[in-house]
Amino acid sequence: MAPLLQLKGITKEYRGNAAVKNIDFDLVEGEIHAILGENGAGKSTLTKIMAGVVEPTSGTMFLAGAPVRFASPAQAMARGVAMVFQETSLVPTMSVAQNLYLGEEKLFNRLRGVNIAAQQFLQSLNFPVDPTRDVASLGAAQRQMVEIARSVRAKARIIIFDEPTASLTPEEKGHFFALVRRLVARGVTIIFISHALEEALDISDRITILRDGERVATDRVSAFDRDKIIRAMVGRTLSQEVYADGRARKARPRGDRVLSVQNLSMGGMVKNTSFSVYAGQVTGLFGLIGSRRTETAKIIAGVLKRKSRNGGEIRLDGRSVRYRAPRQAVRDGVVYVTEDRKIEGFFETMSITENLQVNLAAAGLNSSQIVNMTELRDLSRYWVETLNIRAIDGDSRVIELSGGNQQKLVIARSLLQKPRLIIFDEPTKGVDVGAIAEIHQLVGRLADAGMSIIVISSYLPEVLGISDRVLVYRQGRVVEEFSPKEATTEKIMYAAVH
Amino acid sequence: MSGHLQKLRFRRGAEATRVVTVPPMDGALKPNQYLDDAQVVARQERPDNLARDGDRLLFSSGPILYALKMGAAAESATEVARFDSEIAALASDGAGGYAIGLDNGEIRFGAALSGVRSIKPDAPLAPTALAFGAPGRLYVCSGSVTNRPSDWKRDLVERNASGSVWSFDLSSGRGACLAEGLAFPYGIAPTEDGEALLVAESWRHRLVLIGARSSPKTGGRETVLDDLPGYPARIAAAPDGYWLAIFAPRGQLIEFVLRESEYRRRMMETIAPEFWMVPALSSGRSFLEPLQLGAIRTMGALKAWAPTRSYGLLVHLDDRFRPTGSAHSRANGSRHGITSCLQWGDRVLAASKGGNLVLSLGVDQFLGD
Repeated sequence: MAPLLQLKGITKEYRGNAAVKNIDFDLVEGEIHAILGENGAGKSTLTKIMAGVVEPTSGTMFLAGAPVRFASPAQAMARGVAMVFQETSLVPTMSVAQNLYLGEEKLFNRLRGVNIAAQQFLQSLNFPVDPTRDVASLGAAQRQMVEIARSVRAKARIIIFDEPTASLTPEEKGHFFALVRRLVARGVTIIFISHALEEALDISDRITILRDGERVATDRVSAFDRDKIIRAMVGRTLSQEVYADGRARKARPRGDRVLSVQNLSMGGMVKNTSFSVYAGQVTGLFGLIGSRRTETAKIIAGVLKRKSRNGGEIRLDGRSVRYRAPRQAVRDGVVYVTEDRKIEGFFETMSITENLQVNLAAAGLNSSQIVNMTELRDLSRYWVETLNIRAIDGDSRVIELSGGNQQKLVIARSLLQKPRLIIFDEPTKGVDVGAIAEIHQLVGRLADAGMSIIVISSYLPEVLGISDRVLVYRQGRVVEEFSPKEATTEKIMYAAVH
Repeated sequence: MSGHLQKLRFRRGAEATRVVTVPPMDGALKPNQYLDDAQVVARQERPDNLARDGDRLLFSSGPILYALKMGAAAESATEVARFDSEIAALASDGAGGYAIGLDNGEIRFGAALSGVRSIKPDAPLAPTALAFGAPGRLYVCSGSVTNRPSDWKRDLVERNASGSVWSFDLSSGRGACLAEGLAFPYGIAPTEDGEALLVAESWRHRLVLIGARSSPKTGGRETVLDDLPGYPARIAAAPDGYWLAIFAPRGQLIEFVLRESEYRRRMMETIAPEFWMVPALSSGRSFLEPLQLGAIRTMGALKAWAPTRSYGLLVHLDDRFRPTGSAHSRANGSRHGITSCLQWGDRVLAASKGGNLVLSLGVDQFLGD
């Protein structure tokens, strides 16, 4: 069968540095094709070329046998190639219906008509989303549904999903995979980028693996297993390194109690929860998405302000604290590494150095009014080397970095503030296996150095692999605590669900 | 009401504006059911004040002092002394010397279990804990100047902080006050070097170190463990630290009641002490008790995690006074009100005053994760 989409010798260079090199790729109509690779392997660049987000430096692309060159995503969409981005591209202040019909507005629009049409369309896809709700009030899964609906509405023949399941609960993932199969049954061809290798093995028909901007393998899914994929992705066997068995490892000894959260409450979200965090330990906070772990972390770090009289109490080293802004928390050594790095983690059009400088200033660590660029560049070089951030230099703009390297930058920004308590919220979300291992090792090193670490994660192997104690969150409160010895996937999931 | 008005309204005291919270039981204090599973050493009404006498265990029950040969049947304890007042504190120096504090304030000591001499201090005492120090030296915790040790509920509800720690020279019978203004000191243990005393200050939920030669004027008081989730009682030495008995849990409702002075006044006037909204050594025995039935029982099942007035908790502390492990009897258990503890070989004994049992647990259960 002739390929629906074919790429020949595609290369994309940024300032002379090749993000993808001489890639040949073909997509057969009606298949689900997974593209796997470490962060920085070139997956996003390759798919962005297909969707017209970036133009290739050289090479040719054929759509149904005819050469094409997309100058914009709109052009690609017009030819039936749509991309659903990892962080959705919806307008948060507009309703679901308005987002669905964005760009198609007439001179006079009847909102009721738009809502009804959107309602019917969403129902035809079996998406339980209210078209009148603002996108900002939707959860990650529902936003993704709207994004997919938009692509389907545009009669896309090829839909490219970039990390579609990163922010979904296990149940939502099941719905998503059913949807993908329904789309395929309707004649849509799917390209699927994921870091969850089991998902790729489960759902896809063929797999292409990229490494360092080059294609290293393409084959039917039956030719792969987990270890083979990882070996191809990173050039070595990593599966045991990435998610170590927590029970095989001795838990770090408990140091002094650094943080004591007592009867913390906030609206209907955080409900009278209490827990402690100790120095020199990694405290894993597991819960399903929507169990309000992030809100709790944000209250601790001053991102959200709790009420003084009925919001409970947070004690840092036995001293009651109530932060009105993150700056106050940072000065006490409490930092929060966000799960939503693109929105809250950095300034994407600024360079690595400038991003670091902002955090330095926020922590009050550069008291001088004059910014010493030489010192800043040295600092930037230090963090780029320490955390193995793959960038051309410190002047690279963050938007040019891959997801894993962006995440490392977010961590670097927090670490340079000299924290004592650091809260990682989904630290490896949207990060490839190579970078996951590096981030896990870093978290371990920080705990070994005596720092108190909280790791919020929805991924059980991660929680089990790196935590010295596991707290399970459900419906706004800690419901169970496990030591690494007694923690099992089944026990943790039971506590999180029941 | 606006925030500013609220602040004005509650500006009567710093405490009134503070939020009512209790610390979590997690980490080393992670709940388990070790106390419920523990081996029973003795069955007796309201056992308390564990002490060692050679191969015999001594413990009190009301005004009677019992002895039990370790390994014997749980019901085979024999009466060795009887007093005219309830026994409030007991200590043994391990060399045949005993000290007994009575609820009426009297302290007796000597080589016989009934005590042959009495200490007559200048100030009235309410002995809650005793410990021998250097030869001929006895340390005494006095819980309150106004209430007897058995009247501890009233002392808590009155929000007193009139307790003191004394050091007595047994040869002369003269005593010196080491510290006063304590909120019901209920446990005492000399540190390994004998230079300081570890004291459990119950109503402030903390442990303090007091210099063995300090005085109320010189101070010398250091908080070493704060913000406990319960009311600490007796402390016993362990080879690698200390044992701490926690006799009742803290609860948000009780903490709230304790800052509402008018409510407390009327509660004391109109309700019998056993039904006060205060911590208890045991609970669930009368429908008149507060915080029962629906609070801890749903569809006929007892909720282990329910807020309760009574709880069983024994904690091991390391030599830096940090909790390293614990044994619990939760809301659905009955071995509550742990008031006294004692290391015995590779086991630790705990008196469950609320559960009418003396329990024995393996030390290895406390080694943590």
